[in-house]
Amino acid sequence: MLSCKGLGKSFDKVLFDDFNLDLQSGEIVAITGPSGCGKTTLLRCICGLEELDEGQIILDGKDITNTIAEERGIGMIFQKPVLYPHLDVEGNLRLGSRDCDITATLAEVELTGFESRRIETLSGGEGQRIALARALLANPSVLLLDEPFSSLDEELSDKLLSDVREFLKRRNCPAVLVTHNLDVAKKFADSVISIK
Amino acid sequence: MNSRHLGILAVCAYTILVIVPLWLAIDRLIWISGFDIVNWIQSLERNFVSQGAFEFTLIQATISTIATLVIGIPIAWQLGRYKWPHDYLIRSILTMPFVMPSIVAAMGFLHLISESGLDIRSNKDTWFATLIIAHAWFNLSLVIRFCEPVLSTLDPKMEEQMLLLPAGRTKIGRIRNLWIPLLTPSIAAAACMTFVFSFTSFALVKWITLGENTLESMMASIGSSAGINGYMISKNEIILGSSLIQFTILLLSLWIMSVLQHKRQSRLPKASESIVKMKNKSGWFIVVPAILFAITPLITLIISSFRVRESGPGSTTYSWSTAGWEYAFTSTSSLPSAWDALFNSVGYALTALAIALPLGWMLAQFICDLEKVRPRLARFFDLFTMLPFAVSSVMIGLGVMLGMIRIDAEFFYSLWLTPAIAHVMITTPFVVRIILPALRSIDPVYDECARTLGISKVKRFFKIKVPMLRGSILIATIFTLAMSMGEFGASWVVTRNSDWTTLPIMIDSLRSIPYNNSLTAPAANAVASVLMLIALILFISTEKFRPRRDGGMF
Repeated sequence: MLSCKGLGKSFDKVLFDDFNLDLQSGEIVAITGPSGCGKTTLLRCICGLEELDEGQIILDGKDITNTIAEERGIGMIFQKPVLYPHLDVEGNLRLGSRDCDITATLAEVELTGFESRRIETLSGGEGQRIALARALLANPSVLLLDEPFSSLDEELSDKLLSDVREFLKRRNCPAVLVTHNLDVAKKFADSVISIK
Repeated sequence: MNSRHLGILAVCAYTILVIVPLWLAIDRLIWISGFDIVNWIQSLERNFVSQGAFEFTLIQATISTIATLVIGIPIAWQLGRYKWPHDYLIRSILTMPFVMPSIVAAMGFLHLISESGLDIRSNKDTWFATLIIAHAWFNLSLVIRFCEPVLSTLDPKMEEQMLLLPAGRTKIGRIRNLWIPLLTPSIAAAACMTFVFSFTSFALVKWITLGENTLESMMASIGSSAGINGYMISKNEIILGSSLIQFTILLLSLWIMSVLQHKRQSRLPKASESIVKMKNKSGWFIVVPAILFAITPLITLIISSFRVRESGPGSTTYSWSTAGWEYAFTSTSSLPSAWDALFNSVGYALTALAIALPLGWMLAQFICDLEKVRPRLARFFDLFTMLPFAVSSVMIGLGVMLGMIRIDAEFFYSLWLTPAIAHVMITTPFVVRIILPALRSIDPVYDECARTLGISKVKRFFKIKVPMLRGSILIATIFTLAMSMGEFGASWVVTRNSDWTTLPIMIDSLRSIPYNNSLTAPAANAVASVLMLIALILFISTEKFRPRRDGGMF
C-alpha cells in the first residue's frame, strides 16, 4: 500500500534519517517521539508539502516521491482544524467532494444539522470532526494525522480517538498518526514506531 | 507558468510601465543639462524660481507631520480604547479625508479662508497655518488607521498584567512600559507616510499658499519648459536637483516606513475580536470636534457651490442659486463641460484599475513568496514597488510627458489613454500596499490543507485565495478608482496642453479663470462637490468590506 524507504530530511540538524515504513490496507500506525524530533516534518514529506533530502515513497506500486501534494492522493489532518472561514460547514465539506451527500456525511461524524453553521461557531472537537469528514470525502489512499487531538481536553480527546479509529477501520482507510503521547498512540494505532 | 514566473513577469511589466518613463525623463534632462550633481543642487539656490523651495518644503512637511500626530493620536486613542455609539460611522467620517482628492480639500480650505469665507488668507501666518491644518486634515486617517487597531484589539490581559507589576502601577508607568513600546512603530510609520504626503503635496500648496513654492509645485510650474534641447537649460538642472533631493528624502522615509510596518505586523498580537470596551463620556470633547474638523471643509464646499457673488458699484453681495452647477455642466469656448471631464475621469480610472490591480496583486504575491526564502531580496522589491511614492506625482507626470517626447510625441499626444499611464504609475503602489499585508496575513496552512485535499492550483486560487482576499481586493479596487479619479499632480502636467480634461483639472482650470466671472468659483466648487460625492460613495463601499486589523495602511 504505502512504502517509505530510507527517508531523510535535515534543516539545521538531521530531523530523520533512513526512515522506513510499510503500511498495509486498513492498517493504522502511530509514530511517537519528543517535540521537535521531526514527526510533523516526516508527515509533511510523505504527503508532499515538504521535499525529501533522500528516500523513496511508493503508493500502490507507484513512485510518488516527486509527485506534487495535490496529486499524491494522501490526505492530512492538521494539529488544529483547518477550516476555511469564508465557507460554512457544507462549503468546507464540498471542497473534499463536490457531489457528496452532506447530510449522510455529517451524520457519520455525529454532527447532523450542521450544514449551514459558520466555522467560527464550531468548537475544537466539532471542527476536527468536520476536517476529518472532509479529508475522507476526498477519498485518500492514506490519511495522515498530525496530533489532531492534542489541543482538546482529555475526555473529548479520548472520545474522538475511538470515534476516528472506528471510522477509519469502517472505511478500511490506512492511516499514520504522529503524537508525542505514547498512551494516545497505543489506544489509536495497531502498531507504534518510536523515533528520537 | 508558476507563481515565480508570474512574479518576474510582473516585475518586468512594472519596470516598463513605471520605471522606464521616469528613466527616459531623467535621461533626457541629463542629455540637455549634462551630468553634474553638484551643479543641479546648486541651481536650486542660484535661480530665483527655486530659491527657498527646499527649505519651505522641509519645514512645512515637518510641522505638518507633528500637527497630524498631535491631532491624530488622541483621536485614535479614543476610538481604539473606548466604546462609541455608531463607531463604524464615526471611524468612517474621521478616516474619509484621506480618500478625498487633494484638489477637493484645497477648494474646501480655500473657501474657509478666502474672501467668500472667513477672509483671512491675506495674512501669511494664517495661510501657512491653514496649509498645516489642511495637511493634518488630509493625513489624519493615516494615524487612525495605523494606531487604532493596535489599541482596539489588544488583549486586555496585557494591560491587566501590567497593572499588577511594579512598572505598571502608575499611569505614567503604563504609558512608558506598555503603550509607548506598543504604539511607537505604528506612530512612526504613520509619521513617515504623513511626511511623504506633506512633502509632495501639490494641490493644497498651489491653492492655499500665496506664491510660496514647495519642490513639487515649483517642478510643476516649470516642467512645461523642461526637456527642450537648448531652451532654458537651468530649468532642467532645477528639476534634476529637486528630484534628486526629493527622491533621497522620500526613499529614506519610505524605507523607514517599510521596516516599521514589518516590525509592526510581527508585533501586533492576535487578540480576540470580542473585547468589551468601556464608554468614555469625556471623550466626546475630543471626538465631536474631530468629526466637525473632518466635515467642515466638505460642507463649506457644497454650500459655496450654491453661493454666487454679485458685484455692484462699490459693493459685493452674495445670492443663492444653482447657476454655478449649470455653468459647470455646460461647455464653453474655453472649457469642456463637467460631463466630458467626468467621462475622461471614469475612463482613466477604469483603465488604471484594469492594469494596476492585477499588476499590483502579482507584485504583492511575488514579494510575499520571496519573503519566505529570500527576505532581503523581498525587502528590496518591497521598496522598489514604492518608488513612485518617492518621486511624487508631478515627477511622474513629467516622466510621462518627457518619455512621450522621447519616444513619439505626436503619437502619445494624440492618444486618449496617455494620462492613464500616469494613473497606473500612481495607483499600482497603493494596490501593492493594500494586498501585501492581506497576503501576509493568510496562514499558509490553508493552501497546504487544500493541496492535501487534491485541489488544483487554479481551483485553490478561485475557491480559497480570492474569497479570503475579497475584502482587500475590493478595497484595492475602490481605492484605485478613487485615487485615479482624484489624481491631480501628474494629470496637471500631462494634460495641460491637451483636451483630456479630468474633473480635478477642470476644478483647477475654473479657479484659474480671472475673477471677473462670478460663476467660475461656484462652478469649481460644484465640480469639486461631484468629485467629493464620488469619493465618498467609493469610500463608504470600501469601509463595508474592510477586514478588521488587516495590518494594511489604507
